[in-house]
Amino acid sequence: MKSRWSALIALTAGTAATAAGVALVRRRVGRLRFERGLAAAQLAVRGGLRYATSAPRLFIAAGENRERLRNDLAMQTADDVTATLGTMKGVMVKLGQMASYVDDGLAPSVRRTLSRLQDSVPPMSAELAAGVIEEELGKPPEELFARWDPEPIAAASIGQVHRAMTTDGRAVAVKVQYPRIAEMMAADLDNVSLLRRMLRVTAPSQDVDGLIAELRERVLEELDYRREAVNQQLLHRYYAGHPTISVPAIVSELSARRVVTSELATGARFAEVLSWPQEERDLAGETLYRFVFRSLYEVHAFNGDPHPGNYLFHGDGKVTFLDFGMVKHFTDADLMPLMQMARNLCVDGSPAEFRDSLEEAGFLVPGSPLSDDQVVDHLAVFYQLVRESKEITVTGEYASAVVRRFFDVRSPVAQYARIPRSYVVLQRINLGLFGLLGEMKATANWRAIAEEIWPFTQAPPSTPMGSAELPWLASRPAVADSLT
Amino acid sequence: MSEYADAAGLVERSAAALVHAIPDQPADDGFFGPASIAWRIGGDLSAPVAGLRALMIQALHPLAMAGVDQHSDWRADPVGRLAATSAYLANITYGERAVAQRAAARVRRIHERVTGVDPETGQPYAASDPALLLWVHAALVDSNIAAREKFGRPLSPGDADAYIEEMVVAAQLVGVPVELVPDSQAALSKYLTWVQPQLRCTPAARESMAYLLDPPGLDVEVAEIWQDIREATLISLPGWAREMYGYAVPELTAARREEIRQALGVLDAVFLGEPGVLEARQRITLRMRAAARA
Repeated sequence: MKSRWSALIALTAGTAATAAGVALVRRRVGRLRFERGLAAAQLAVRGGLRYATSAPRLFIAAGENRERLRNDLAMQTADDVTATLGTMKGVMVKLGQMASYVDDGLAPSVRRTLSRLQDSVPPMSAELAAGVIEEELGKPPEELFARWDPEPIAAASIGQVHRAMTTDGRAVAVKVQYPRIAEMMAADLDNVSLLRRMLRVTAPSQDVDGLIAELRERVLEELDYRREAVNQQLLHRYYAGHPTISVPAIVSELSARRVVTSELATGARFAEVLSWPQEERDLAGETLYRFVFRSLYEVHAFNGDPHPGNYLFHGDGKVTFLDFGMVKHFTDADLMPLMQMARNLCVDGSPAEFRDSLEEAGFLVPGSPLSDDQVVDHLAVFYQLVRESKEITVTGEYASAVVRRFFDVRSPVAQYARIPRSYVVLQRINLGLFGLLGEMKATANWRAIAEEIWPFTQAPPSTPMGSAELPWLASRPAVADSLT
Repeated sequence: MSEYADAAGLVERSAAALVHAIPDQPADDGFFGPASIAWRIGGDLSAPVAGLRALMIQALHPLAMAGVDQHSDWRADPVGRLAATSAYLANITYGERAVAQRAAARVRRIHERVTGVDPETGQPYAASDPALLLWVHAALVDSNIAAREKFGRPLSPGDADAYIEEMVVAAQLVGVPVELVPDSQAALSKYLTWVQPQLRCTPAARESMAYLLDPPGLDVEVAEIWQDIREATLISLPGWAREMYGYAVPELTAARREEIRQALGVLDAVFLGEPGVLEARQRITLRMRAAARA
C-alpha cells in the first residue's frame, strides 16, 4: 500500500506541477523527496522518453477492444458518466493525459492505475452522444448531418470523436463531450482541499494554491470546446497554404460548448512513422519543429498538448496537427525575454547578458553566488540544437538529457532556478517536441531553421522546405495582431 | 498484549479477494443475482466506510470482540484477516450458490472451534452462537445502508427494506435461524435498540479500532487520506456507538462531505488500478445490464 500511495500522490503532485509546468519529481526508494526551487515533485526519468510511442487514444487501437467497448459497457446515462468520472476520477484521467509525456518517469504502479482509469471509461452509447449534440445544436445528429456514424472512432480528452458528413458533403470529425463532465470537474477542482493537502505534504515549499489555480485554469479552458474551436481556426487560417503544415478547418455552425466539428483528416500515426525511412522522418521532424516555433514566435500561441496522438503524417514532411484544447497565448512581453535569451546565448555568445536576461525574466534569482559559466553549463542543454550551425541528430539520449536536466535538483544552479508561471506551458517544448524528435532520430541543421524563424534573425530559407514556404510566407495574413 | 502487524497490502489483498470471487462464466447467479440491490450497491465508493463502520459496531459486542481477539490471527495479520472477510463477503454476494455455500460451511467450521470466556464480562462465548452471528450480520447490513446514506448513493426507503430482506439469506448461510433475522428497516432498528444494553467498549475493542482508524505502516501521504476515511467512518456511526468509543466528530458540512467523497474517489481509483479489478467490475456490469434488459 505504501508504494502505491506514494506513487499516486507523486503522480497527482507531479502532474499538477507539470500542468503548472514547474515539475521536478523524483521517486526514491519508495518515498518522495522534494526540493525547493524549481520543483514541485520529481519524476525519475528512466532510460529516456518513450512516451512518444504510447498508443494514440483510440478505441480502435485494437479491433477486439472496440468490440468489447462498444457493446454493453457503454455509458448510457449522465448518471453513468457521474459514476465513471465523478469524485476526482475525471480530474485524475485528465492529469494522467497531461502527464503522459513523462510516462517513462512514472512508477509502474502509477502507470497502471492511470491506464486502468483511462480504460475504465467506456464510450458513450449512441443515444447519449446524440443527446449531447441535440442539447448543444438543437437537433439530433441524423438531422444535422447528411451521414452520421453512431460508432465513435476515437476517445478524446473528456469526450469521443464521431465521423460524419455535412449536408454540403464535407467529411468531418465531431468531438462530443461527456454530459455533466464539465460541471463535475469544475466542482472537483473547486473543492481543492484534497489536492492541496497532498501537495502540501509532498511539495511543502511550493506555491500550492498557484499550482492548483494553474491546473484548474487549464482544465476548465479545455472543457469549453468553443475556445478550442477559436484556437484551431486561428491556426488553420494562419497555416492555410503552407506546404507541409495543415490544421483542419472548424465547421463553426456545427460547434458549440460541448461539440466541436472539424474537417476530417486521415494519415499515419506517430508510431507508424517510426518505421518510415530516415529521410521521411527527418522531413516530418523539420515540420514539427517549424510548426512549434512559427506558432510561438509568429502566432504567439503554443499548443501545450504534445501528445503523439495529436499528429497525422502524410509523407514528404506533410503533417496535420490536431487537438487545440490547450493552447496558451503569449504577449510580446512574455516572448521578449525568450528571444533575448536565445539571442544572448546562441547569436551573441554572451554568458553575462544571457544571465541578465534570465534574471530579468524571473528564471534565475538575481544576486545568486553562481558564476556565469555555471549558469550556462546548467541551461545550455536546452539550446544545444541551436547553438551552432551544423547538422544534429536528435536522439532519445538527448531528449532524456533535457528531461533529466529539467528535473535535476542537484546542480548548484537548481536552487536558484525558477519557472515563472506564464512560461510553465513552454516546458512542454523541451519535454514534448524534443521527445518526439528523439524518437524519430530526426536530423537537421536546427540552428539554420531557427534563424529563419527567430524574429531577430529572419534568415532566408536554409532547406528545401524553407524555400517551399516562401509563397506562403508572402501571402499569409498579417500575423500576431489579427490573431491574438 | 501482542503488537499489531502493519497494514501494508490492504488495497492489494482486498482487490485480489474481489477479483477472485467474481466468476467469469457462472453456473448460476448465486444467492443474490444481477437484479439484486446487493449487486447494485456493491461498487459504491462509500464501501470502505461501510466496512470500517461495520467493524466498529461489531466490536462493541464484548463477546464478538473477545472471539476475534482471542482466536483469530487478527493481531499478527490484520490485513489478512480483513482480506479474508472481504473475500467471504464477495463470494457470498457474487459467487455461484455452491461457492457461497462452501465458503459459508468453511466459516461455520472455523466458528465451531472458537469458544472461550470473555475476560471483561466473565461470560462464556461461542462463535457459532446465533445471537453473535446475528449481531455481526445486523451491523454489516445497517452499515451498508448508513454509509451510502452519508457518502454514497443513498438507497430509497423501499430499496433499503428490500435490501435488508435480501440479506436474510446471508445470515442463514452462516447459521442464524431465519426467524431471528430482521427483514425490514423497522425490524432492524428494533433489533439494534434491543441489543444495545449488551454493548460496551472493551479495551480490546478500543485497541483494535484505534489500530484500524490509524493503521501503522502507511506513508505520511496515505495517512493524509486515511484521515478522511477515518472521519467519514466516525461520522457515519450512530451517536450511541460514537459515545461508547468516546470519539468526537466535527459537524458534516456539504463542503466537507464533498471532500470526503473526493478522497473516497481517489481510493476507489487506486483500487481500480489493481490487477483484474476493472475486468471484475465489468463482468458485474455486463451481467446486471443483461438482467435489466431481460
